[in-house]
Amino acid sequence: MKITLNGKQIEVNPGEYLLSVIRREGIEIPALCHHDAVEPVGACRLCIVEITRPEWEGWSRLVTSCLYPVEEGLIVETHSKLVSDTRATLLDMQLARCPDAEIIQKWAKEYGIEKTSFPVREDADKCILCDICVRICNAVGRYAIARTSRGIEKVVAVPLELGEDQACIGCLSCAHACPTGAIEWKEDSNTRTIWGLTFTLEKCPVTGEVLGTPQQLDHFAKKAGLSRDYFTKSDKAHKHETAKKFVKII
Amino acid sequence: MVFQSVEQLIARKKELEAIRNKVKRRIVVCAGTGCVAAGSLEVYDELTKQLKEANFEISTDLMSCAHRNGSTHFVSPSGCHGYCQMGPLLQVEPDDILYMQVKPKDVGGIIATLQGKQPPDTKLLYKDPHTGAIQKGRNEINFYAKQERIALKNCGFIDPESLEDYLANGGYNGLIKALSLSGKEIVDIVTKSGLRGRGGAGFSTGKKWQSALQAKAEPKYVLCNGDEGDPGAFMDRSIMEGDPFKVLEGMTIGAWALQSQRGYIYVRKEYPLAVKRLQKAINELEKAGLLGDNILGTGFSFKVTISRGGGAFVCGESTALMRSIEGKVGEPRAKYTRSVIKGLYDCPTVLNNVETWACVPLILENGWEWFASKGTKTSTGTKAFSLVGKVKNTGLVEVPMGTTLRQIIFDIGGGIIGDRPFKAVQTGGPSGGCLPEQLLDLPVDFDTLTANGSMMGSGGMIVMDCRNCMVDIAKYFVHFLLEESCGKCTPCREGLRQLHYLVTLVTEGKGDENTIKQIERVCHAMKEGSLCSLGKDAPNPVLSTLKYFREEWLQHIQEKKCVAGVCRALITYWINPEKCTGCLICGRACPQGAIIGEKQKPHRIDPAKCDKCGVCYTVCPERFSAVEIH
Amino acid sequence: MSKINEISTPPPAHDFSKLEQILNRYPREEASLIMILQDIQDEYRYLPCDVLIETAKALNLPKSTVFSVGTFYKAFSLQPMGRHNIKVCMGTACHVRGAVMVLEAFQRELGLEHTGTTEDLEFTLETVNCVGACGMAPVVVIDEKYHGEVQPDRVKKMIKKGGK
Repeated sequence: MKITLNGKQIEVNPGEYLLSVIRREGIEIPALCHHDAVEPVGACRLCIVEITRPEWEGWSRLVTSCLYPVEEGLIVETHSKLVSDTRATLLDMQLARCPDAEIIQKWAKEYGIEKTSFPVREDADKCILCDICVRICNAVGRYAIARTSRGIEKVVAVPLELGEDQACIGCLSCAHACPTGAIEWKEDSNTRTIWGLTFTLEKCPVTGEVLGTPQQLDHFAKKAGLSRDYFTKSDKAHKHETAKKFVKII
Repeated sequence: MVFQSVEQLIARKKELEAIRNKVKRRIVVCAGTGCVAAGSLEVYDELTKQLKEANFEISTDLMSCAHRNGSTHFVSPSGCHGYCQMGPLLQVEPDDILYMQVKPKDVGGIIATLQGKQPPDTKLLYKDPHTGAIQKGRNEINFYAKQERIALKNCGFIDPESLEDYLANGGYNGLIKALSLSGKEIVDIVTKSGLRGRGGAGFSTGKKWQSALQAKAEPKYVLCNGDEGDPGAFMDRSIMEGDPFKVLEGMTIGAWALQSQRGYIYVRKEYPLAVKRLQKAINELEKAGLLGDNILGTGFSFKVTISRGGGAFVCGESTALMRSIEGKVGEPRAKYTRSVIKGLYDCPTVLNNVETWACVPLILENGWEWFASKGTKTSTGTKAFSLVGKVKNTGLVEVPMGTTLRQIIFDIGGGIIGDRPFKAVQTGGPSGGCLPEQLLDLPVDFDTLTANGSMMGSGGMIVMDCRNCMVDIAKYFVHFLLEESCGKCTPCREGLRQLHYLVTLVTEGKGDENTIKQIERVCHAMKEGSLCSLGKDAPNPVLSTLKYFREEWLQHIQEKKCVAGVCRALITYWINPEKCTGCLICGRACPQGAIIGEKQKPHRIDPAKCDKCGVCYTVCPERFSAVEIH
Repeated sequence: MSKINEISTPPPAHDFSKLEQILNRYPREEASLIMILQDIQDEYRYLPCDVLIETAKALNLPKSTVFSVGTFYKAFSLQPMGRHNIKVCMGTACHVRGAVMVLEAFQRELGLEHTGTTEDLEFTLETVNCVGACGMAPVVVIDEKYHGEVQPDRVKKMIKKGGK
């Protein structure tokens, strides 16, 4: 299957989304709600591209490349004036929402915006509501956090926690996946705190490395169908043991 | 009784029609929301009580008319008659008398007329505001005479809670016809009729069905969108409340054509009466074998469930509505696969709105030629509108497509309250726009409205006069959408946040040339970038007022003036001492105690205390009109 | 992190007697969630956190899902609502016929700055985007009863009647 991307004809695989083609071709466009580990949702709208076809007779439209499947003969522009103008306004508005988010600053600069032309949101945090954290948490199988409320009040939050019976296992998947570093967490030698919840940490008896929270290790063992014992030691310790066994064999 | 076959149903319909024809008089009291609020149920109770006392032979349901010998008065409540301005309404057939603004104390006189003792009380009849002539019935009153009612045909004529009444008045003729046809034949008829979705976008209903018919996946779903979230629109509400069986018959026809077994009606939570009436209708139909398993012995089964919305405008959007029926958050899904292929639970789904479904039985019954002969070439049939705002006759109207705005607003609507100058008409809800006077002769159809920066939407038509500020209206819609945006995608969420800020600047007199540029930039990004049509169309009210009323915007910016007298930061209230008689009404009403003055001496407003709430302006009796806005 | 606290957890009701009845009205599936929450809202006048958690368990849904839905739709409140409910319609037809003034009159009479519930839990003032009674604008719905063509100077009386 062939498409034309920024004037160049290229071979693509049926079923793949435009964004993966664009990235494979080394073209950089922002796609902040995209994460390879989870299904795309098309929320940030920054990965918009302009598409047309010869038979559309000059008519074109913007689509989100993260969700648009390739089609034979499609003509795609990633940086047309319409795309760039729209993308710039969106980045300008995101910058007003999250002035401290570095990735927004970086992309905005790329589109000529040093400072937002809109009033900055009061009590601005770094959350751009890309929903990656929620989708990652669901993929992990915890469903611990959710998008709550709606419209401009929308916020990602831990729901209805009454101290115990928490769905959050403190695995940090959400924080690591967050493109803007909006999810704060901290760790000292014995505890980890995220989403306002504090977990004790389990360590490897051999190397002393942090293994994770007990809840996290329980969950992963169960999910992977492995013995919980496997998760009581660090990878290093496991390797060390295997090597020892190996040495014994020879 | 349970109908085992089509023949049984036809036979029963004949019996019921015969009973209906035996009724001497049919008296209908409007029990639509407007009339109920105005006290129509009290009128109904008083009427039945007094009729009994006067020894009238009355029945309150069709069935009990069966044993009578043609002298029965069949009295029942009905759905909305549409002329909400004049409620409570009471209609007498076959005399064709429509009593208006009826109070329980008027019932005696109405009964005396029924007894032939006196002519109808002219105080309760319609008086043409232009000629002063008394017009006694629907055939004479302009508001009705200039309409053509198809979707609203039964509303106000039948008892919406009686299946018998529905069957006696042509009910289920459409399904009977449909059951003799194949799915493809039905889809062909609907396609040829030219029926387009009455909910907003105006997509061809037949084409939609065609795609779903061809879709291979199972099961298929048939949905009815009763969310009607556009503010200022209540056509669907009136149909659901006034003629619920027709909606269900339409859905059953659709289900038969597509061989779907499951249907859902999504009704917004603000419409409790619609939910009640629809549920009652579903129960009746299940009892009669017209819904449920093995309908009319055909082996075809179809179940309908009501899904009550949780209160979110965005759920009128098809993908959000489907998520909401699934019990989820009503966020739209970016769709590059259409819902007819992958809709509810990712299965092929046909979603039409209430009015569209209500048209289907009549198209089947009367043929596609009949429907296609009405309206314009590309927008066939009729369309119901809720004609509201600053118009004399507010209510529900239904006219052939292609009728001009002027005909609707001035001929049917009777013009502007107080004969003030017309300023704009807003159509299409928050996705639509405001059209100015120079476009009043536009024919109302899907394509013309869209080409002029507004849209048909579901059919709200809000008329505005010189006392409405167009910047304020733009702000109103932006605020509305700000509250209703789901917040999923950036352009809509952040765009509305900024748009609200910018438009507010203008209404407060703090805007400059750059503000409008910035507004247009945001609107553009929202239009191009938003995920769903709610976001894409959200800038329309702003853009259309900027297009047609730019001067008014510029006045706010350059002269810091709101000529309509609405934007508070730009106006002051002033009592004209020459007109003020010192009646004390405004002084008592002023919540701030800002009005100074003795009895029978001109009053004065203390500007330091006045917070411009406008109460004095509204309470000052019309004959004085002493409070002025500057 | 500061955002976590902004969504406050609703107070518990410690009373599940009505919940069981509500749950029994519907199939135990996700599709019933919104209607179950509506009934909870009607019975308890808000969504108590413990009732929500029980609901999640009964429907076998994550708590986060129930919480998302409970905060998304306007029909739901996480704080107890007043005994009387006043809805001022802010639909377009009402807006052009002066709904803002009517709303302000209610705010003044109830001593509320915006919308919300009075301290004595007697009244909850809400705005609603069109109740579909546009023909009689401006409209106010008090405890399911519709009032048409409301003028600001009638508001005081309406509140007295509502609170009788």
